[in-house]
Amino acid sequence: MTNGQPDLLKGLSPGDAGEVLALGTRLLLSSGAELFHLGESAEALHVIQRGRIKLTLPMQVRGREEDVLVEERVPGQTVGWSALIPPYRFTLTATAPLETEVITFSREALVAHFAAHPAVAQAISLNLAAVIGQRLQLFQTMWLREMQRTVELRYA
Amino acid sequence: MVLCMSVLGLAMAAMAFGAATKPERTTSMTAAQPGAAQVAQTRFFVDPAPGRVPIEALLLEIENHVRLEQAAAESFVEYPTSALLHSKTVSTFVN
Repeated sequence: MTNGQPDLLKGLSPGDAGEVLALGTRLLLSSGAELFHLGESAEALHVIQRGRIKLTLPMQVRGREEDVLVEERVPGQTVGWSALIPPYRFTLTATAPLETEVITFSREALVAHFAAHPAVAQAISLNLAAVIGQRLQLFQTMWLREMQRTVELRYA
Repeated sequence: MVLCMSVLGLAMAAMAFGAATKPERTTSMTAAQPGAAQVAQTRFFVDPAPGRVPIEALLLEIENHVRLEQAAAESFVEYPTSALLHSKTVSTFVN
């Protein structure tokens, strides 16, 4: 795990982090297994313990629909934050390209814990905002770079 | 008189022959063009089109491109400058 503490639990005391981790269940994914699928109801988020998770979107390649890599997540990182953000539906497909272990947190368990521990809720919400914000900034940049290429191709 | 008539007849025959064969030559030249196109077309179908890579290789190329673009975007997010925003990668997908 990166620096020993998952990105979702940064800033929490060891005691608070331990309580949150106790809410999760370990899930072992074999190589090629799917963690969640695009369009499914998002009921849980996952923190990667070991291995890797590929996030993909479908793309038409030569008339065939192919899952194309959008992002790759490594130990310590969180996937499936759609479980805490309305409309609670996955907008990507997550698969394990190799044997991978994740800790799964159900929305129900997290929301109940947040209600009882507002300080923990605030810290985790900020960490989640950082994860979402980083995704936004990266994709905003990647989108602009693609736009630049389109402009160069069309109006060179 | 006979000689003149013979020369005149020969000249007319030569002109008639020339007139008769000229369109044929043009036709044969015109006909050669589809022939050349046919040869080229045959070559087009026989030779694999340049850049027609197997789909698995294409998917790997796309994946590699995404990784390079993400790395470039991460550099920009860390130090936002116009130069980093438009920095080039070695991705074969766009180069």
